[in-house]
Amino acid sequence: MKANAIKHIRIIILSLSLLIVSAGMSMAGTFKASHLYNLSDFTGPLTYSWGALSVDATRNEVYFIYQNLVKVFNENGMEIFQFGDDLQLGQVLGAAVDKNGDIVLLAYLEGRSTIIKCNYRGEPLGEIKLQRLPKDFADFNASQMVSRDGLLYLASHSEKKLVVAEADGTFVRGYDVFDMLPHMDKERNDIDLSTISVDQHNNILFTIPVLFSAFILSPEGKLTSFGRPGGAPGRFNVVGGMVSDSQGNYLVADMLKSAVIVFDKDLNFVKEFGYRGAQPGNLIGPRDLVIDGRDRLYVTQGRARGVSVFQLAYD
Amino acid sequence: MKTLKLSLFGTAAAVVAIGLGANAYAFHSGGVAECDGCHSMHTPAAGGSFLLQGSDQSSTCLNCHEHAGDTGPSSYHISTAETQLGAGVSPLQRTPGGDFAWLKKTYSYLDRSGATVTEDGQVHGHNIVAADQGYAADSVNTTAPGGTFPASQLACNSCHDPHNPNRRGVDGNISRTGAPIVRSGSYNNSVAPVAGQAVGAFRLLAGAGYTKGSVTFLGNPAAVTPSSYNRTEATTQTRTAYGVSTSGGHETWGQWCSTCHPDMHSTGNYAHPIDQGMGSSLAANYQTYVASGNMTGSSATSFTSLVPFAQNTGDYATLALSAQNNNSVLTGPGSTDQVMCLSCHRAHASGFAEMLRWNNEYEFLTINGAYIGSDNSTSGNAHLGRTSAEWQSAYYDRPATTFATYQRVLCNKCHAKD
Repeated sequence: MKANAIKHIRIIILSLSLLIVSAGMSMAGTFKASHLYNLSDFTGPLTYSWGALSVDATRNEVYFIYQNLVKVFNENGMEIFQFGDDLQLGQVLGAAVDKNGDIVLLAYLEGRSTIIKCNYRGEPLGEIKLQRLPKDFADFNASQMVSRDGLLYLASHSEKKLVVAEADGTFVRGYDVFDMLPHMDKERNDIDLSTISVDQHNNILFTIPVLFSAFILSPEGKLTSFGRPGGAPGRFNVVGGMVSDSQGNYLVADMLKSAVIVFDKDLNFVKEFGYRGAQPGNLIGPRDLVIDGRDRLYVTQGRARGVSVFQLAYD
Repeated sequence: MKTLKLSLFGTAAAVVAIGLGANAYAFHSGGVAECDGCHSMHTPAAGGSFLLQGSDQSSTCLNCHEHAGDTGPSSYHISTAETQLGAGVSPLQRTPGGDFAWLKKTYSYLDRSGATVTEDGQVHGHNIVAADQGYAADSVNTTAPGGTFPASQLACNSCHDPHNPNRRGVDGNISRTGAPIVRSGSYNNSVAPVAGQAVGAFRLLAGAGYTKGSVTFLGNPAAVTPSSYNRTEATTQTRTAYGVSTSGGHETWGQWCSTCHPDMHSTGNYAHPIDQGMGSSLAANYQTYVASGNMTGSSATSFTSLVPFAQNTGDYATLALSAQNNNSVLTGPGSTDQVMCLSCHRAHASGFAEMLRWNNEYEFLTINGAYIGSDNSTSGNAHLGRTSAEWQSAYYDRPATTFATYQRVLCNKCHAKD
């Protein structure tokens, strides 16, 4: 009787183990990333290196900023509008679309960052001033902006600080990323932050390449890190931006490996795709990632390779 | 108060989540870096070499040393990404070596005869080959001026040894083997090595025995730089303290540069002297020169990073005292301090032809108290296609008031002919 019970327990444990293993393999087998096209204008695919990307998830339009020109692409990746090349607004660093469909620009002028609300044609309507900044953020100068769920997420890459603000610029919360990291004798300038993104749970996602690490910063301020250095699948070489898809998977760009590395929501490695090469699905120096409401992944690259667009699927 | 509390809570939570550890953030730490930052062991590039994943060596370096999205001088970046280099926009980085992106700034203007002239960006510096970031070999100088090193092979690792084993020990000597390298030795706050330890060679520069193609370096040049070195010089200068040493694994800056440019300054050539003491007359000029026509200065405040000199010492502690970024040490040269290549040229690139530290293509740097510029009506055609703001950027943001209202070229800092 006792022997039977032990046998049953062993079978159950074995079954559970197989179930867990097969679940993991099944996840790895079901994630697909298919190259669709590169962002293009009427002369063909863009031939730019890197640049700033953002998406209007409501309309699935993409904003790409290169040398102060804001280019707007429709849901099929074709350029439909551009504005902003006169430097009157300063150096345009980022663009977002608010819930009213107005464009919000982040620009840098005379040593300060400014947030400028524009109409849908890119014509300035007024400045959004950051208000009620705490003392530690009084000199905050944003270099990147993400809009999500009515909030503006601002990153200062030089200061290694993040600020979350209401759409009218009122300070909500802020983080000094450098101070949140364990360190010893190094200075703020010894690390770089990647571009940030914000996932569906309003976590802020970013990487620090020199640490070979990716970070998930929850709205409550809990910082979770993952990643190990190495060239093997799932390891990090020189990481860039990170996004999360509709399934909660995390996708991390690796510039050196020239690949996008995928982890599931529990941070288990799933797969890599891209890799250096000349084929359409290959990547060269992928740096920044954005994702739209249809799980289309946009990837900036070097070597004048423009922006590659991949469809993520889970069947 | 509520937000502050939340932020504090965030900090506490984060520490718990990722744990307390003693991470060293600096990647190179004075010597060979973490292998995985440059090599990918199991996903080599198609057609790549050395398991590097960049298209070439320099592309690999610039994966980290160039950062799209910078708004100004930032960290260890030595190149501004193309995405931020529109017309009328200058490169952003202000390292002592200079921003390689000046190589991508081509200017057109009318010369004094009214003919259109194009100043190709490639004249602004060392044309490293970095295909991923859009840097190509020099198309005019196919070999190093004054030498035979092929332009097609010029890369970051032509001058910097990425695996640099050169170490400075407790005795100040540099050797390829010995006590382990424990940290960088480049900075004014780099702790001096103690017995059983060594620090890295300045800037991971190539040292004795490092061979690229047909050239071999014979030693390391001595220098110390402030720990915060990539910064605007609008109000205070960044002073890298260059030294002179020919012993214990060292060579002078001129000797080091001549590894690739041997005929530029070799004996018998009719060229500007380097590696020579300035002598009392030129040193006195340097000390008293304030601006064109103004010789009322004093040694204690005479240093300008637009015309640096090599202090006649190989003692790193002495050099560290001079390597400041807050104008606390602006002492000028003595008669035995030396002129060197870097007195006039930047090492990477600059906003001026021949990677000079100032514009030598016109008599004046300023006219009527303002930079020459296409937006300065009194500049005539002398603006060389740049706006006043672009000129100011090339001078590391110094206001025009730093100079005389009609400031002449900075050869005069030593020669005082104006």
